[in-house]
Order: sequence, then structure tokens, then C-alpha cells
Amino acid sequence: MTGLDASRVTISVGGSVLVDEVDCSVPHGSLTALVGPNGAGKSTLLRSLAAIVRPDSGSVLFEDENLLGLSRRERARTAAIVEQDASTEVALTVRAVVELGRLPHQSLWRDDDADAGAIVTAALDAVGMADFETRNFSTLSGGERQRIMLARALAQQPRLLVLDEPTNHLDIGAQLDVLGLLQRLAGQGVTVLAALHDLGLAATYADHVIVLRAGRVVAAGPTASTLTPALIRDVYSVDANILTNPATGRPIIAFSALG
Amino acid sequence: MRSSLTRAVVLGVGLGVALVASIVVAVTIGPADIQFGEVWATIGSHLGLGDSPLSVLRDGIVWELRLPRVLTAAAVGAGLAISGAVMQAITRNPLADPYLLGLSSGASLGAVAVLLLGAAVLLPFAAFMGSLLALALTLILASSLGVITPTRTVLAGLAVSSLASAITSLVIFWTVTGDSYREILGWLLGSLAGARWQAVAITFAAILIAGIPIMLTGRLLDAFAFGDVSAASLGVNVSATRWGLLVASALLTGAMVSVSGAIGFVGLILPHAVRLVVGAGHRVLLPLAALSGAIFLVWADTAARTVFDPRELPVGIVTALIGAPVFAFLLARKRQLT
Repeated sequence: MTGLDASRVTISVGGSVLVDEVDCSVPHGSLTALVGPNGAGKSTLLRSLAAIVRPDSGSVLFEDENLLGLSRRERARTAAIVEQDASTEVALTVRAVVELGRLPHQSLWRDDDADAGAIVTAALDAVGMADFETRNFSTLSGGERQRIMLARALAQQPRLLVLDEPTNHLDIGAQLDVLGLLQRLAGQGVTVLAALHDLGLAATYADHVIVLRAGRVVAAGPTASTLTPALIRDVYSVDANILTNPATGRPIIAFSALG
Repeated sequence: MRSSLTRAVVLGVGLGVALVASIVVAVTIGPADIQFGEVWATIGSHLGLGDSPLSVLRDGIVWELRLPRVLTAAAVGAGLAISGAVMQAITRNPLADPYLLGLSSGASLGAVAVLLLGAAVLLPFAAFMGSLLALALTLILASSLGVITPTRTVLAGLAVSSLASAITSLVIFWTVTGDSYREILGWLLGSLAGARWQAVAITFAAILIAGIPIMLTGRLLDAFAFGDVSAASLGVNVSATRWGLLVASALLTGAMVSVSGAIGFVGLILPHAVRLVVGAGHRVLLPLAALSGAIFLVWADTAARTVFDPRELPVGIVTALIGAPVFAFLLARKRQLT
């Protein structure tokens, strides 16, 4: 089964083209990293790949189905997005925030979502925030909020999970926890696409990588063969040495300024 | 989770009982000295249970004046509280309120205009159009200032409502030959002195047509807590929901103002008070805010018509005496909104 397959996706805002005829694919049940310098258009592209914002042109297929053609509720049961820096003026408890993830599974008037309680609890457990469920969301730290928003996305029970910088604000332990969780989800058949700033984390955790620069895809494919020193030098204008971690056998990227 | 739902149901039933009790008691309070039992025997007689113990005049005071006025107060209070809670959620603005954003003054202007043209049948519709127009003007003006912040919206609302109020006063002054000052005060500050059975019919119909459907959208309003993109990602049709609910709120406000004038702050005080007790989930908040708004206005109006007996205050003075300090408190507590 194919995962996410986007072709010729173009998005412009106020006359400037932010995403320019992007073709990309995310293999089914993989963890794929979207990397690229600041302003490359990652957030804009992610919103379109989750079909929340309709691109000006192009198509987005998921499991061979047109994601942009689904009803809103159907789409929200299929794809979930975790955005950066979620905040609210509204005094909601952590549990109430995660319960919002059940919205696409519920009708407006009836209580027809019998498993909601258990699903919400499991989502809070998965992100390690079960003890926070009665806290007021706005009293949490940035990292804690990030994990709650991930739990909200999990409560949607999506088959496609899109995340914008999910490790932002997190300390290193929490970063590894979140990436480990994303890896496990991918192992369970969820197709996961995450924008990541940290190339080292991308190299360690992602099966595939998509490299975006100035709204265009410059490289894509399996992480080890795609994220090469030459590519990093080209895209980020830094020198990179790729070493092997003697403890894990996984790659480590050492950076230095061009010179 | 179940326990918080149980608590909400208990609170809802408690407020429902308190509302019925408030209506039952408020009807018996007034300048004319009529006993509790006599009041209810009279009301019973109009419902086909026995004979009225009172003279025709005193019977009229109970049945034609007090009862419709108390029932109208309850409906107007509920409607304004629902309207305020919805506007706060949809515009993500804790200061939103039909009065502060100019809807009430716009509705007053619409109502006064058709009354003076002699087209009283159109009264609720004209008030609705007035409030819708005022809302549109406020939002256009606020967005022309740049990014829409809560404070900018309130300032824009102030401009719109000052203009609408001035035109209302001018129109009344121009055309009414009798006590134009009393008339002007009634529309600008809100008064339930003129509420008869027709007002009961209009306001209850508005609660049925707009209020109850709005209350059933609580889950959608919750989804707006994190902004439009977040609501969209949860499968909500953001623009249809936003405009549908804003129009429904304008309809509700217009219907209420068409019988009561612009009563301020009810939509601000009650939703905030209820949130402090039950949190911000709208499925619980909306019905509880409606019930407490009804209770609040029944008593505010009872105070307005009895404290300075035999003179009457416009009820809007009572609600402003309570609401303006609440508004100031919210401003001080949420400085980042500016």
C-alpha cells in the first residue's frame, strides 16, 4: 500500500509562491522527516499535505484516496496535524484539550463515542502526561503543551500523522521520547511525516527524508543515502562529517562552518 | 470525567429550579401591594383554574404587566448571556459582548427607525438587521486597524455604538412629541417597562429559533479554542460555523433588544462567572450561562422597578453598575489583550 503521495503542489500567499510544484511521497508506515532551512515552506507544505489548507493546485493522495476530496470530518479521522506553539486564552483542562481530538468521531448532539474515555486516557499515557489531566492547559510549559497537542492528535486515531517541529521546546530526554513514540506509531502502520530542525535527530530516527529549500524539493529518499555531506553543504552552507556512533551503529552528523 | 458531567447536570437542575423560584417570587414583588397567594390565584385563573380573587385593575397589574415583564426579563437575560458566550468563543475575545461590540445599539437604532416609520410588525427583523450591520461595521473597523486584537475590537465597537446611539437619540428627539428623554433612555440604557405578552412571544420565539440551536453547537465552539487552523484540523467547517453562529447571535441580540433596548454587560458578566465555576467547555457553559443570565436579569429588573418606588430605573443602569466593574477587572487581569 502506498502512503502519502503528493504531486505538483503549489501554494502562494499574497502573491509570493511559498511552495512551488512540490512532488513528494511518504512510504506507508514510515517515519519520514521533512527538513530544510528556515523559511523553506515546511509549515505551509505540511498543512496542505494534511489537507487542512487547500493548495492552489496539485493533488494529495493518501492510501490511493484523494485527501482533498474527503469530507472535513472524514479527513480529520484520516489525518491529524500537530502544529507549533499551540496556545489558547480559554481555560481548558489538559483532558478537555485531548478530548477535542474525538470531535471528528462524534456527532454534534449525541453521545455516540463510547470508547472516547479510554482512547483519551491511552493518548495521555502514550505521551507520558497522564498525571497532568486535570491541570489547566495554559499553565503548562511549552514542552508539556507540545506533548498534549500530540496526545490530541493521537486521540483522532489518524492513519496519517503530520507534525510541525514536534521536538521544539523539549529537553533532550523528551525529544527522544517523542521520536521513539513516532517510530513505534510508524511500526504500527501509521504514516508519520515530521518537520525536524535537528538533522542529527532526523538521521537517527527517520526512515526517509524530504529536503525542502525555497519551496522546492531538492532531494528525497532513504535517510542514509539522501542526507549526504554534499547535500547538507549545498542546502545549509555548512560542512558536515557523518560519523558512526560506536554504541548504536547509527549516524552522527558533525557540523562545521564552511572554510 | 463522569463526575464533572454529573456536577454540571446538578448545577443545571439547581439553576433551573432557582429560575422558576425567581420568577414565582419576582412576580409577587412590586409597588402595588398584592399578596403572594393572590398573585398566583390570579395567574391560575387565567390558566383556567378557578376565579381571580382580585379586582379587574389589580388583576390587570398581575396578568398584563408583571408576569409578561418577568418572563421577558428571563428570556432577554438568557439570550444576551448566550450571545455573549458565543461571541467570546468565536472571536477568541474574552471582552466580546453584544453591548460592547455595538450590536445592541445597532439593534436599538433599527428598532427605533421602524417604530417611527409606523412599521411595528417589522420590529424584530429591523433590530436584527441593525445588530448585524453594527457587527459587520465593528469587525471591518477593527480589522482596518491591523491585526484584530480584543481591545481594538472593543474600541471599534465603542465607535459604532456611539454613532448608533447618537442617531437613535436624534431620531427619537426629532419625531417623538411626548416624553422623548424617557424614550431615549429606555432604548439606550435598556428598559423592560414596556414588556407585554407580545414581548414574551418575540423573546421566547428567539430563544427557540436561535438560542437553543446555538446551545447545541457547544462542541464546535470548543474546537475554536486553539484558533482557526486547529478547528479546521478537527474537521470543523470554520467559516460556515463562524458566520452561522455570528448571524444567529445577531438574531438573538436583535430580538432581545427590540423589546428591551440595549441592556449592557449581561453577555459579559454571566459567561465569565459560569466559567469560573464549571470551566470553559461550551456544552456545559452555554446552558448554564443562559439559566444564570435569566435569573440575573429577573432580579436586576425587579430591583430596577422597586428600589426607587414609585419611580423606575432603566434596568440597564442596574446591569451596568455590576457589569462595568467586571469589565474593568477583566481588562486589568488580561493586560496582554491590548
